[in-house]
Amino acid sequence: MSQAADATHAHAPTSTGIDHKKLIMWLFLASDCMFFGTLISTHLLYRKLYPTGFTDAEGHQQFIQKLFNIELTSFSTFILLMSSFLMALAVSAMHKGQIKSFRRNVLGVIFFGLIFLGCQVYEFTHFYHQGLTIQNSVFGSTLYVLTGTHGTHVAIGVLWLILLYFYSFTGKLTGHMAGLDVEVAGLYWHFVDIVWIIIFTVVYLVEYLGPSGFWGTGLPLAK
Amino acid sequence: MSDAVAHDPDFLAEEVRRYHHFITLALWLAAITGAEIVLIFLPVPMPIILTALSLMSAIKFFAVILWFMHLIYDHKLLFWIFMCGLVLAFATYSVLLALFSVDRIDTKWFS
Repeated sequence: MSQAADATHAHAPTSTGIDHKKLIMWLFLASDCMFFGTLISTHLLYRKLYPTGFTDAEGHQQFIQKLFNIELTSFSTFILLMSSFLMALAVSAMHKGQIKSFRRNVLGVIFFGLIFLGCQVYEFTHFYHQGLTIQNSVFGSTLYVLTGTHGTHVAIGVLWLILLYFYSFTGKLTGHMAGLDVEVAGLYWHFVDIVWIIIFTVVYLVEYLGPSGFWGTGLPLAK
Repeated sequence: MSDAVAHDPDFLAEEVRRYHHFITLALWLAAITGAEIVLIFLPVPMPIILTALSLMSAIKFFAVILWFMHLIYDHKLLFWIFMCGLVLAFATYSVLLALFSVDRIDTKWFS
């Protein structure tokens, strides 16, 4: 690590050599990793055990490939990736003491976060109108719980960044501790992004593999 | 970050270097996501697509944690703390998969 890199990550004199706030955040992220790991595992296992999709309120069999909107989900993924990029720039700006640049980038992250949440609300509404509820199938239960928990994390992140944005106008967001506070908020935001990277692949993309889906029960082959 | 450090030329040069890394990485992440979406519609055998999707997902995952989350620049302990969580999450999935791999459950226990 270069001297400059050392300076960026200069830490308070603690027994581990790591700032306590940052250490606690990483421990939290590790535990959250297990939390999401369990939710994703549950979804995949029940997807395997109950591969027939779901039936709507009128008893009609519905296919999951038709339920998902891959264009919308891809757009959400792109938005979240770009928000992560802006968050990295916001942290960098804060380290350099460029408060205006920090505010601009954080506003971008908040805006992208809100777009992502809007897409999720639209998606949930679409699912509901297609007959998928949290109660009528195992697939619905695990999907809503998994993506809903992730959405809640995004909402908390947006709220945190809004507070940080307004706090920066008080003039108290300066010095080493301010850089650390922004970095910790950034870690949380990036974590939300990496969880979505996994969800996008294992929950959404695999449904489109092959003519009848990865689970073998997607759209029937055209005759 | 103290003001003295923020105005240090070496520190600023390092931040500029990282800034360019972040831009390059963002472009790569967007390109990989685009490739993932194209891949699922290609007439390629499923094991190949699955392997490619897993690889691309892992690349994006580690790119974000290493560069955007600064793990590549930061204390090694943080990397290992996060890896512990990740390994436990993956182990949970593997164990559950093994437990539920038996498709036919002996129903006499439930009657």
